[in-house]
Order: sequence, then structure tokens, then C-alpha cells
Amino acid sequence: MLIVDDHASFRSLARRLLVAEGFDVVGEAGDAADAFVAVRSLAPDVVLLDIRLPDLDGFGVAEVLAGDEDAPAVVLVSSRSRGDYGPRVDASPARGFIAKHELTGDALRDVLGESGSP
Amino acid sequence: MRRWGEWFVVTAAVLAGVGAAAALVRGGYEVPVELVAPTLVLNLAVGWSFVGVGLVARRRRPASRTGLLMVLLGFAWLARFLLAVDTTPAFVAGVLLGSVSLSLFVHLLVTFPTGRTTTPAQRVLVVVGYLLSAPLDAVFLALGAQRGRGEGPPPHGLVIAPSNGGSTPEPVDLVVQAVVVVLLVALLVSVWSRWRAAGVAERRALTPGLVGGTVVVATLLVERTAILLVLPPSAGVVLAWSAQVVLVVWPVALLLGLLRSRLDRSGVGRLVVDLGDGPAEPGRLRSVVARTLHDPSAEVAYRLPGTDDYVDAAGHPVEVAPRADRAVAHLVRDGRPIAVLLHDPVLSGEPDLVEAVAAGAGLAVENERLHAQVRHQLREVRASRARLVEAADGARRAVERDLHDGAQQRLVAVGLALRLARARLGPGSPEELDALLAEAGDELAGALAELRELARGIYPPLLTDEGLGPALASLAERASLPVVLGAVPGQRPPEAVEQACYFVVSEALTNAAKHASASRVAVDVVADGDGLRVDVVDDGGGGADADGSGLRGLADRVAAVGGRFAVSSPARGGTRVTATLPCG
Repeated sequence: MLIVDDHASFRSLARRLLVAEGFDVVGEAGDAADAFVAVRSLAPDVVLLDIRLPDLDGFGVAEVLAGDEDAPAVVLVSSRSRGDYGPRVDASPARGFIAKHELTGDALRDVLGESGSP
Repeated sequence: MRRWGEWFVVTAAVLAGVGAAAALVRGGYEVPVELVAPTLVLNLAVGWSFVGVGLVARRRRPASRTGLLMVLLGFAWLARFLLAVDTTPAFVAGVLLGSVSLSLFVHLLVTFPTGRTTTPAQRVLVVVGYLLSAPLDAVFLALGAQRGRGEGPPPHGLVIAPSNGGSTPEPVDLVVQAVVVVLLVALLVSVWSRWRAAGVAERRALTPGLVGGTVVVATLLVERTAILLVLPPSAGVVLAWSAQVVLVVWPVALLLGLLRSRLDRSGVGRLVVDLGDGPAEPGRLRSVVARTLHDPSAEVAYRLPGTDDYVDAAGHPVEVAPRADRAVAHLVRDGRPIAVLLHDPVLSGEPDLVEAVAAGAGLAVENERLHAQVRHQLREVRASRARLVEAADGARRAVERDLHDGAQQRLVAVGLALRLARARLGPGSPEELDALLAEAGDELAGALAELRELARGIYPPLLTDEGLGPALASLAERASLPVVLGAVPGQRPPEAVEQACYFVVSEALTNAAKHASASRVAVDVVADGDGLRVDVVDDGGGGADADGSGLRGLADRVAAVGGRFAVSSPARGGTRVTATLPCG
């Protein structure tokens, strides 16, 4: 999987947490542009995508990625709660949403369902 | 000095008239006896009328060349009588001067009332008019034309009689005639287009002179084309006579146009009376001044003390730099400009009228200026209040963003680190340490939740991203009491209105939960004309204090976007908060 977030400390902690819980993290990206490059070159199955990025927001990135063939499953994360985004999360092609402080391997598996296991 | 000049001109005109009479009677040509008196009376009337009225015009309007042109035309008219003297020098002089009066007529009509050409077309007309008189006649003389000399009445139709049309015209005459007809038609077109382009005030000055001139030109035109129109010679005689009759009164019409303002001054007295009674509503002075000046486009602008800025009666800024279609008269009190009168430039030729109006309006100007100043300040205050609210909302948004990007992110990272630490401890670690980490994680989760709530209260990102409907829905969901939210209009109002609306509902919901001990609240946002109407109604104990800081702040916020705010909160009757917000 690929982790996209502009905070390096979050990327690093999330990576260690998810690796510890059995996920295979293939890369990290700090903004939308890097994320597109990483998705093309690493072809991850899952993208953990922060909604607030310095260039394009997570909803925009999810839209673009959904247009690809072999699109990865996108899971949106944010330090805000889901309610702060109203209907936008449901309207997005992303598989689901996890608040950052609730991020665990189990929560991620829940969102991805059976088929999404790494 | 000027008086002496005028007396000299008058004497010269009298002598020229006497000379013309002598020339007609004793010049050596045969003049029908019955035509001597009418010819003399009419021609002296035309000549003296132009000279006399021209002198008056020159004295009253020294800046205009019209008076000078009229005096010259009068003399040129009388000079035609040189033709009545049967000697070669008199004939030559008579031919050369004979049609100069027509050239001057063209010049006058084209350039009235200033006497100066303003467009290339006007210049061409005037120049062609002059070329057709003395220069063309000089060419004919050089070629030896001596037509009409010797026998019968004086040549060149000096005395109007049918017998004058007797000789058959030569081709060169027809060409000259055709040029003259083209010139006359061009003259009519020029006059018509000038009148059409003129404003109301300018038309008042132009109309009498242009109408008189047009009649003369039209008569000449018919006379010149009489051959083509197959009119009998007697008709030509009648037309020639009537053209001269019109010429007698035309100078008076020109003078009337020049002096229109003198006549208009009687209206200034009415201006003072008009301003005196009647309600003092903004812009009233403007309309009365416009009526008095006969210039519907007239405007009055008031100077803001201590600045060079001007505003109209309603306090709106006005640009007062002079433009091509706009002249500016400054109204000064105690050496300081207090207002300007913007008017049709043609009125600049009538400074005494503008001055009289300015003087008549003096007190009213001072009065309206103070009103305009207050209205302007009110507009400024309203604008600055709106800017303050905008700045405050901007600051709230920045704080929310900072919390989200800073403290929240770091605390989230701390939470992940704690979770990771617990995972790393694994089985066999001291239970106490594991419990401690779990406790720290829970505390952290609580702090994060509070921080999120705080950030949302400071500024809801959903409002900017998604608009009023989703933001209010989220607000209603999180409220601590049941909220019934009606359908919110889908179209997004301006940001300031959206924010005012959101914070009205937010504050009213907080009040209902905290103070009114209500069991449910109804929130309705409906389109109201061009704006929005927000109603928040609870079933609580009522008795809310509309002057309390919370509701007072909401009233200020609603007023800042130009809306109305009302609270109805009878004891034990629930509370209704209503805000009407214009979106225009």
C-alpha cells in the first residue's frame, strides 16, 4: 500500500503501525503530484490518502485515481471527523474514510472488506 | 472707448443706408417707380437690423463672434447697392461685394451661437461659402462679364422684379447655381445634425436662430431651383421678397438665442421659492437646479470637508473632472469650494445664469452638503463594519486551519505512537505499563475530540466547502437537543450572508440548549425575495435577553450585511429568532 500525507511524522508512524499489523507498505508521498507518480510506478493495491494536501485535496486525487485502469482502493484519512466533510465522503469514489486517531490495521481491514486484504 | 466705436459703427451704417438710397435713385439705371420705396425700406431694414442687433449682441456676449459677423453682414448687405451706380469702378466693387453677405450668412448660420467652427465639416462649409462670393465673382469679372450693365434696372437682381429673369442662363451660370444649391442643402443638413446632437439646454439657445436661418435657406433653395421646379417668374419674385422679410427679423432671433439666459434669470427667483417650501429630500436641489437651467443632465456634487472628494446627495462618490460633455462650475463659500455644479457645456456661455442659480441655491447647497456628508459617512461606517466582520471571519478560519494543521496533527501522531508502543510491548510486558499506555491513549482521544469540537465552533470548514445546507445539517446532528431542519435553498448566497446565517442558527441552538431548557427546536431557512429568511423557534421557557452579548452580537453581524434581526421571547412562550438577510 501507499501512504499519502503531507506530515512526515504521521507517514512514518502510520507506516510502522500498519507494517506491525501485517500490511505491506510500498511507499509514501507528501503531496498529490508525488502520489500520482508513486501510484504509476509502484502500482499499490491500496492508497491511504489524507484529505488535506498542499496542492490538490484528497477528494480530487481520488477522482483522478478512479479514472485509471486497475485503480487502487482509496481510503481517505483526516484529523477532522467524517461529519466535517458532509456528503463529500459518500460522493467520492473512495472506498471509505478513517479518522486519523482511529487508524488501526483492523479499522483499515473493515473499510477494505475481505477483498481488500493485502 | 467701446462706446465711441459703437457710435462710429452706427454713423457708418446710417451713411451707408443714405448712400444706398442715393445710389438707387440717382445711380443711372431705370428703376420702376413703384419698386423704389419697397426696395429701399426692405433693404435698409435688413442692413440696419443686422448692424444694430449685431452691436447689441457684441456688447452682451463679447466672447461670441456672432455680433461681429452680424455687423459685417449688415454692411455687406448695404454694399450691394454699389451695383446701382452705373460706373465701371462702382460696378466692379458692387460685383465683388455683392454676394459677400451670403457668405457671411452661411458663416453665421453654421457657427451660431459662438461664431467659431468646431468640426472640419463646418470649416469646409464656411470656406466654400466665401469662395463662392468675391473670388468667384472676381474670376467672372476678369473674364469680362459685364452682364446687365447699361440698360434697364440695376444688375444682379438688386431690385426684385420679374424682368430680371428675362435673359437666358448660360451653362456656366447653371454650374454655379448647382454648386450654390449643393451648398444650401449641405447647410440644411449641418443645421439639422447640430440641432439633433444638442442637449436640452443647448437647444434652447439654438432653436430661434436655426429656425429663422432654415426658413431663409429653404426660401433661397426654392428660388434657386425655380427653373427646375418649373415655377412661374412671379413665384420667384414672391420668394425673393419673403426671403428678405425673414432676413429683417432673423437678427432678433439670433439675439434671442444668445440672450436666452437673460430671459431664464426670471426662473432663478422661482428656484429660491421652490427650494424654500417642500420636503427636504435628497437630490431635491439637483432636480430644481436642472429645471431652472433647462438642463436635465445637471448635477450637484458636494465636497467632503478636508478632501478633494465629491459625493452626490445620497453620499455616492462623484467624479467632477471636466469632460467634453460636462462643464464644471465651482460653488465657493468663504474662499473654500463647497460644491460643484456639473452642467451642459453650452451653459458655460451663460456664466451669469449659472452664477445666479448658484447664488440662489446657496443656503440649500450648504444644507444638502451637510446631509450628503452624513450619508457618505454612514456608507463608510457600514462598509467598514462589513469589513470588520469579514476580517473577523477570516481570522476564525485561519485559527481553525492552524489547529487542524498544527496541534491536531501532532496529537494524532502522539496517539499513533502510543498505539505502536503498546503493540511493541507485546505479551509478557508489565500489565501496569500497558494499562498506563491505554489510559494515556484514551485521555488523548478525549482531548482530540474536544479540540475538534472547539475548532468546529470557531469555524466550520463544511460551510465553505459545501454550503449552508450540509453545514446546518451537521450542526443539527451534533446539537444536544432534537432539531427539525427544513429544506435549505440550494443556491449559495454570498459568503458573508452564508456565514451570518450559519452563526445565527448556531448561536440560537446553543441558547436553546443552555438557557431555555427547550425540548426541541425548529430551524427554517427560506428564500425571501432576493434574500434569505432564517427562523429558529424553540419550545423553551422564553424570556431571552435581546441585549445580552450573544444576541446583541448576532444583531450586529446581521446588520453588517444589511439585514434585519428580531427576537421574540415571551415568558413561558418559547423563543423565536428571525433574521432577514439581503443577498443583493
